[in-house]
Amino acid sequence: MRRSTRAAAYVLALVWLCVPLLPVIVWAGAERWSFPDVLPQAWGLAGWRDAGSAGLPLALLRSLGLGLAVSAVATPLGVMTGRVLGWRLTRRPIVVVGLLLVPLVLPPFAVAMGLDVVLIRIGLPELVSVVLLLAVVAIPYTAYTSATGFARTSPELEAQARALGATRRQARLRVVLPAMRGSILVAALLAFLVGWSDYVVTLLVGGGQLVTAPVLLGSAASGSGNDAMVAAMALATLLPPVLLVSAAAGLRWREPVAPENTVTMPESERMR
Amino acid sequence: MTSRGLRGAAPGIVSITVVSGTGMVAVLATSVGLMPLYGRPEPSLDGWRAAAPDLVAGIGESLLIAVPATVLAAVVGLGLAMLMLGGGRAVSVVRVACLAVLAVPHLVGATSVSLLLGDGGVAARLATPVTSGTWPALVGGPWPVATVLELAWKESAFVALVVLAAVAPGHRARMEVAAGLGARGWQRVTRVLVPTAVPAVGAASLVTLVYAIGSYEVAWLLGRAVPEPLPVLAFRLFGSIELTDRPAAAAAAVTGAALAVCVTLPALAALPRLRSLSARGSS
Repeated sequence: MRRSTRAAAYVLALVWLCVPLLPVIVWAGAERWSFPDVLPQAWGLAGWRDAGSAGLPLALLRSLGLGLAVSAVATPLGVMTGRVLGWRLTRRPIVVVGLLLVPLVLPPFAVAMGLDVVLIRIGLPELVSVVLLLAVVAIPYTAYTSATGFARTSPELEAQARALGATRRQARLRVVLPAMRGSILVAALLAFLVGWSDYVVTLLVGGGQLVTAPVLLGSAASGSGNDAMVAAMALATLLPPVLLVSAAAGLRWREPVAPENTVTMPESERMR
Repeated sequence: MTSRGLRGAAPGIVSITVVSGTGMVAVLATSVGLMPLYGRPEPSLDGWRAAAPDLVAGIGESLLIAVPATVLAAVVGLGLAMLMLGGGRAVSVVRVACLAVLAVPHLVGATSVSLLLGDGGVAARLATPVTSGTWPALVGGPWPVATVLELAWKESAFVALVVLAAVAPGHRARMEVAAGLGARGWQRVTRVLVPTAVPAVGAASLVTLVYAIGSYEVAWLLGRAVPEPLPVLAFRLFGSIELTDRPAAAAAAVTGAALAVCVTLPALAALPRLRSLSARGSS
C-alpha cells in the first residue's frame, strides 16, 4: 500500500471510530447551541449542573457498585470455568463451551422478563437479582478470557508447587493466580463493564428503583430535551470504562509475553 | 466430563443453567398463561394471538436492523484489522480507539449518534449550506439508518479486535512466505490474509448478529415507532398498565430468543474455528 493511501486509510479509520462520539463531547461543554450554527454560541457547564441536580453523582456511584458486584461474582466463577477449558481438564469441553454460549445467544431482556416474575414470587431483593443476572451474562467473557490465560500457562506450575510441599489451595492462590493476574484483571474488567453499561436488565429487574448512570441517561435522553444535560450524563457514563480499558491495555502491553508452546505436560496427563 | 473437570466448572455452568433456564421457562410459561402476575394459571394462547401481527412485523424489523448492521460491522471491522496488521506508527492509535469504542456503553453511543444524525444534529448543521436546512429523518425515520450505523460502529471495533487477535500471530511469516512464492500485494490479501481471517470474522459476526437481534436500547432510542423490533415491542408490552399485555410481552420475548437461537445453530455448524475449539482433545 502506498504511503498516501495508508495515511488516508488511517484518517478514515479514526474518523469512523471517533466522530460518532464528538457530539457528546461538544454538547457537554455547550451553554447555548442553536441550529444551524456549527459550534456553540456560548460555552459553559450548565449541562453538568443540570445533570448534578438530576442525580448524576449518586447514579454513578450506584453504577460503580453494580459493576464491582458483578465483577466480584462473575470473575471467580469465570476463572474456575476458564481453568477447566484452558487446561483441558474435561473430556467434553463442548458441554462447557455450549453452556457458556447460552447467555450470549439468549437476549438478556427475555431472560430478565421471565426471571422478574419468578423473583417477585420468591421475594429476592431487586439488587441481588440484578447482580445475579448480570453476573451470568458476564461469565462467558470472564471464562473465555481466563481460558486463554490458562492455555498460555503450563499446568505443571501447579504440580511443581504441590511437589514442593504446597497444599492445593496454596498452589492455586500463591503460584497459579499470580501467574494469571493479567488475564484475571482483563476478565474482571470485562465483568465490570457488563455491570456498568447495562440498561435493560437493570431497568426490568430493578423495577426502576435502581437508578444507575445508564438508567438515568436513558430517561433523560428519551424525553428531557436538554441536550447539554444529556451529553454531560453520557460523557460521565462514558469516561470511566474508556479510561479503565485504556489503562488495562497499557498495562497488558507492558507485560512480557510468554513464549509459545510452554505447555509441556503430556496430553494423557492433562486429560484427567 | 471427569469429576475433577465437573467440579471446577460446575459453579459457573450451574449458575448459567439455573438463571437462564429459569428465566426462559418462566417467560415461556407466562406467554401461555401458566404464570400470571395475579390470578389462577390457565393455559391460553391469547397472548400469542394478541401479539401475532406485531410479532411478524417485529421479526422483520429486528432482521432489518441486525443483518445490515452485522454486514457493515464485519466489512469495516475486517478493514480496520487489515489496517492494523499492516503495521506503522499509527497502529497503536487505531488499536486504542477500537478498545475505547468497545468500552462505550451502547446507550451512550446511541445518545451521541442521536445528537450527530438527528434532526438539528451536528451532521444536519454541517450540511446546511448544501441541504438548505432539510435533513433526512435518519433517527426515527422510515428506515432504521441511525440504529444500524450505531450498532455497526460499535461492533466494527469488536470485529476488528477479534480478527486482529486471531490473525496477528504468524501474520508476518505468512505474508513473507506468500511473497517468496511470488504472490503480489493484492494476491497476498485476497488469497492469504482474507481466508485466514474468515473464521474469526464469521465468529465475531455471529456474536454481533445475535447481539443486534436482542439489543433494546439502541433501537428504542434511535428507531422508528412502528414497527418495533422484538425487544422494544416486548419491553413496551411488559411495561403496559394492562396486566393482560404480559403474556403478549412474554410471547415477543420468546420470539426474540427463538430468532437468536435459529440464527445461531446453523451458523455454529458452519464455523470451523468454533467447532475445533469444542472438539475433544484438540489443541
